[in-house]
Amino acid sequence: MTNEGRGQESIAGWVRGPGRRLVDFALRYYIQVLLATAVLVLSAVDPQFRTFSNYENILLQSSFPGIGAAGMTLLISAGAFDLSVAGVLGLCGILLAMLSSAGLGAVAPLVVMAIGAGLGLLNGLVVTRMKIPAFIATLGMMNAYLGLAFIVTKGQVLPISSEFLMGLGTQALFGLVPVPFLIMVALYVGCGAVLLRTLFGRQLRAIGSSPLAALTAGVPVNRVKVLCFVIVGACTALAGVLLTGELSSANAIMASGYELSAIAIVVVGGTSLKGGSGTLLGSFTGALFFSVINNALNMFGVGAYWQYVASGLLLISAVGVQAVHSLVRGEERASAQEA
Amino acid sequence: MDGAENSALPARKGGQARSLVTYLQLFESLGLLVLLAIVILMASAVTQGFFTYTNLTNTIINAAIVAVTGFGMTFAIASGGFDLSVGSVQAFTAIVAAALLQVAGIPTAILGALLAGVLCGSLNGLLVTRLRMPPFVATFGMMSVVRGLSLLVTSGQSVMITGRPGYALINNGKVFSLPVPLFIVLLVFAVLHLLLRHTPFGRHACAIGGNRKAAVASGIRIERTTILVFALVGLTTAVSGVMLSAQLLIVDGTLGTGFELQTIAIAVLGGTSLAGGGGNLFGTLLAALLLATISSALNILKVAAFYQYLYLGVLLVAALYLDTLRRDLIAESILRRR
Repeated sequence: MTNEGRGQESIAGWVRGPGRRLVDFALRYYIQVLLATAVLVLSAVDPQFRTFSNYENILLQSSFPGIGAAGMTLLISAGAFDLSVAGVLGLCGILLAMLSSAGLGAVAPLVVMAIGAGLGLLNGLVVTRMKIPAFIATLGMMNAYLGLAFIVTKGQVLPISSEFLMGLGTQALFGLVPVPFLIMVALYVGCGAVLLRTLFGRQLRAIGSSPLAALTAGVPVNRVKVLCFVIVGACTALAGVLLTGELSSANAIMASGYELSAIAIVVVGGTSLKGGSGTLLGSFTGALFFSVINNALNMFGVGAYWQYVASGLLLISAVGVQAVHSLVRGEERASAQEA
Repeated sequence: MDGAENSALPARKGGQARSLVTYLQLFESLGLLVLLAIVILMASAVTQGFFTYTNLTNTIINAAIVAVTGFGMTFAIASGGFDLSVGSVQAFTAIVAAALLQVAGIPTAILGALLAGVLCGSLNGLLVTRLRMPPFVATFGMMSVVRGLSLLVTSGQSVMITGRPGYALINNGKVFSLPVPLFIVLLVFAVLHLLLRHTPFGRHACAIGGNRKAAVASGIRIERTTILVFALVGLTTAVSGVMLSAQLLIVDGTLGTGFELQTIAIAVLGGTSLAGGGGNLFGTLLAALLLATISSALNILKVAAFYQYLYLGVLLVAALYLDTLRRDLIAESILRRR
């Protein structure tokens, strides 16, 4: 406690006047600054990086985890998590492949999104009705979904042949902006409007900052929470549809580690894990940032294993940055009292 | 079973609630025993060769590997946290042991693995205390980092343990025709039971899990205790990593996926509440045996491994639901008393 108190003084003493505002700006928009710096530096040093096809690839690769992260931002703002998204995504991808080979065509994505929303509803009910902490309930549900996905496919890869679905995952507007990225932009605008401009958004933020106060104020806590889980399920299913289209196949473990990517994007974007507020601009930037980092890691040939290390370290350091930020903004006292 | 002593209930008015908790813990342990007996009877009825010496020994060995880390996890849950990184740390320590065996003796390899486990655990503890991260996020991040490191140091390849008959004895050695892992798990159980019930450290850990504010107010050194608890989880995970590497004799960076789920599941199934405040190590041991028995029966019946994902997930959710019901029951009885 005393150490941290001293830290606060020294930071406050160190930054004064306009400098303080600059530090505040850098901390508030650190992810945007980071993204811009990373893109500029990489474009400057690596001719392979600054090609249109590579930029397009970065946009495409950011959209799969990014779409799931949009729903996750709302859920984390409401003070909960969903670790089952990898299972939901795998199961939805498989169902899409099965429905499309059954000849459902363009309706299949909508059906799959409805199923994803249903799985989200199940998660929400397990968390609210059975009163199990969200992270551990969804950890169990992830195994159940993964198990189902394996059982349905017997561990096989299911190919898809629908031109429409493959186009959904691979086509690009003007040959530069991939369709999944456009969908992601629309989704973020929609989720941002929901979070900031609707009663539901206010209610979920109220629940995130204090469930008890929200309950006392007459917010239907359980219903709002369940709805957040439903949104995460639908977003994840959408990501599953697009990813299946891009890969032109689906299998149970096509999204292993997806929960880490989605949560890391949200947290690195600046949404507080304590709940109560969320920044969709941050999550959007976070998705692009992770895509740039992974792209650069691939380009330098360090391979997939470093991506595990990078995601984990970024998640941990983002929470560290949040701690520093709250120190600077003098929220330290409040959280110290709480702890 | 004096677990109520460590629970978060108010001391003065908790008389009835305390006895209720004692009965519940007893009932849970008994309930698990009954369940275990039923599963064993069913397994021996529907399968051929369940009651063979080899199969029983294998079941005990598999249960022991999960139970050892389950004990550490029970400790962490009792102190109000938990550790999602155990699967990665298990892989990492197994790799450290295997790598050291190529250049050094068996004691050095085991010590090195244990040290690596303690380091990983302490790092978790430091992240939770110094950066004040929720244990969920800190260990989630570490899960990814350590998994990446394990894959990196092996370049995604397997590491063989060859020409070390002594090392394999950790797994297949017999004392009075009982497998060595049984003795390891009983030893770890005894040590952790002593730590949890009969030392200030164990009481402090439970106090932190039961009521953090009260623990701070009564002058418990929260940070030190929390770091020690996470170091203990790391240590027990390293023990299971050594046992696993001795069982497989070939290790790689993908070992232990889903291990965190198994260990949390057996702790909760064994009657340790996620609310924190107390741990039931004996229940954890029974739950580990139950899980291993079910897995072994499913293996004999040649049920595809996929189904085990499903049943583990459903089992975890069911165990957590029981935990919720129990907490409601206790809260109700306290209210009635007032």
